[in-house]
Amino acid sequence: MASRKVRSPTAGIVSTVHRNVGDAVGEGEEIMFVECMKMEIPVAAESAGRLVALHVKPGDSVSEDQILAVIEG
Amino acid sequence: MGWEREIEELRTRERLAREMGGKEKIERQRSGGKLTVRERIEQLLDPGSFHEIGAIAGKARYGEDGRLLEFAPANFVMGRGRIDGRTVVVGGDDFTVRGGAMDAAIGSKQVYAEQMAHELRLPIVRLVDGTGGGGSVRTLESDGRTYVPYNQGWDWVIANLATVPVVGLALGSVAGLGASRLVTSHYSVMVRGISQVFIAGPPLVAHTGETVSKEELGGSEICSRSGTVDVVVESEAEAFDCARRFLSYLPQSVYELPPRGPVTDDAARRDEWLIEAIPSDRRKVYDMRRILKSVLDRDSFFEIARQYGRSVITALARLDGWPVAVMGSDPHFHGGGWTADSSIKLTRFIDFATTFHLPVVNLVDVPGFLIGTAAEAQGTMRHGARALAALYQADVPWCSVLVRRAFGVAGAAHANHTRLAYRYAWPSGDWGSLPVEGGIEAAYRAELAAVADPAKRRDELERHLNQFRSPFRTAEAFLVEEIIDPRDTRPLLCEFANLAAPLRRAGTVSPQYRP
Repeated sequence: MASRKVRSPTAGIVSTVHRNVGDAVGEGEEIMFVECMKMEIPVAAESAGRLVALHVKPGDSVSEDQILAVIEG
Repeated sequence: MGWEREIEELRTRERLAREMGGKEKIERQRSGGKLTVRERIEQLLDPGSFHEIGAIAGKARYGEDGRLLEFAPANFVMGRGRIDGRTVVVGGDDFTVRGGAMDAAIGSKQVYAEQMAHELRLPIVRLVDGTGGGGSVRTLESDGRTYVPYNQGWDWVIANLATVPVVGLALGSVAGLGASRLVTSHYSVMVRGISQVFIAGPPLVAHTGETVSKEELGGSEICSRSGTVDVVVESEAEAFDCARRFLSYLPQSVYELPPRGPVTDDAARRDEWLIEAIPSDRRKVYDMRRILKSVLDRDSFFEIARQYGRSVITALARLDGWPVAVMGSDPHFHGGGWTADSSIKLTRFIDFATTFHLPVVNLVDVPGFLIGTAAEAQGTMRHGARALAALYQADVPWCSVLVRRAFGVAGAAHANHTRLAYRYAWPSGDWGSLPVEGGIEAAYRAELAAVADPAKRRDELERHLNQFRSPFRTAEAFLVEEIIDPRDTRPLLCEFANLAAPLRRAGTVSPQYRP
């Protein structure tokens, strides 16, 4: 099983997390929003699988390319 | 009896040259998933169009009787050929002969290729593999001395950037001079898994205490995100396609104009979905590439450097057949805010458009420069200032479409405001020095500090100020010239391309292009 790191496309603040650890996610499905420049930037799963780790919660500051979650599948 | 014997010897020498580094080395090249330099040239060019120059240059060994015993060709194959019927110069490193390094090179062949491109005003495609004619400590032993390094042919390499289209394809591990030759171009491509690009490879880097693989050091992930290389593809064939396609938008040299391509799409086409392309919720992102593809000629969108400076999209495309340079914002990255990287990308792209006389179409949704300590640490304002300088120095025809936001210095940089404002805005337009959200805290700080319930007062102020935000109020004052139905964008851009075509001026431009 391959695990894939989900990285932040942008620097900003995590505003909403739509998924929990253990959830199945489809390719392109939004996992969370990172707020930047007053916009909600969606962070999407690049491939389908199961969310095995979630490293951030709403309100956390993140930098570009920071690992936000891990998907296995 | 004429010169038949000599011609026979010539053919023998040419045949020996075509054997490259020999069967074993060719086998190694193939087992690495790589084509030989001669196969590459054949696949890149129109069939049968390659005219080789200097084929029999190399190192020969002769017997006592003066007979040719052995011949090792120089490890750089070059000449002229055609791409889509237009003549180009092509030069490729032969990795099967000493890994493409200098000790088996005849350096003047590379220089000749560059000079030929310059003087005949032809595009040049460099197929780089290995060190691209770079040095090797082996020469210490063979020459019995060392030398002060200089970059041979660099006068032509640099002059070519301001004269002819230059394409670099990395088709193997590319280091040192090879990497430099690759990147000193208008467009560079690498093949995932086959190509790595670095200053020095893992053995040298190991001396700094870093143990890394070639892929970790200079693989496509690293190089595309760092902006070292513009485009990553999956195969050599795809790299050749990219080179051909890139050149199709460009003139043969700056002394000509970009040629009109076939008119394959209806200039009056209006895609209905554009009316809902921009979400009414200002916090929501959308797909700018889909918008671009919809308003440009079908299948003409050709993106450059997608993985670098990702808040900005740069592409070549056609409008009613006319080649144009396209800029757009991508709100999926930093909300479309300009970063240091996207500013560097824009500077290079605007200079490129200016060099080859490409009219610019800019679809704008810029919330400003990215802010915060990370942005400051990257020197964003320095790089942004350079992008602005490129913009104000550009004199190619320019059309902006404000699809959503234009805020601050970066938002203002959607066009040179001193030129005719050839500009349209969509009804989703939203602009100013600062957006109302966030701007309130700065402008009404004293008032907010003085009231009992600052949050309530802040909301009241926001509601109050938002009523002035309608783009129609800006248009009333003729501060934006025209608000359009998004569905009319393509017909209007095609009109622009046709109006711009006769305004393009061939010739050299100043300042000259830097890679």
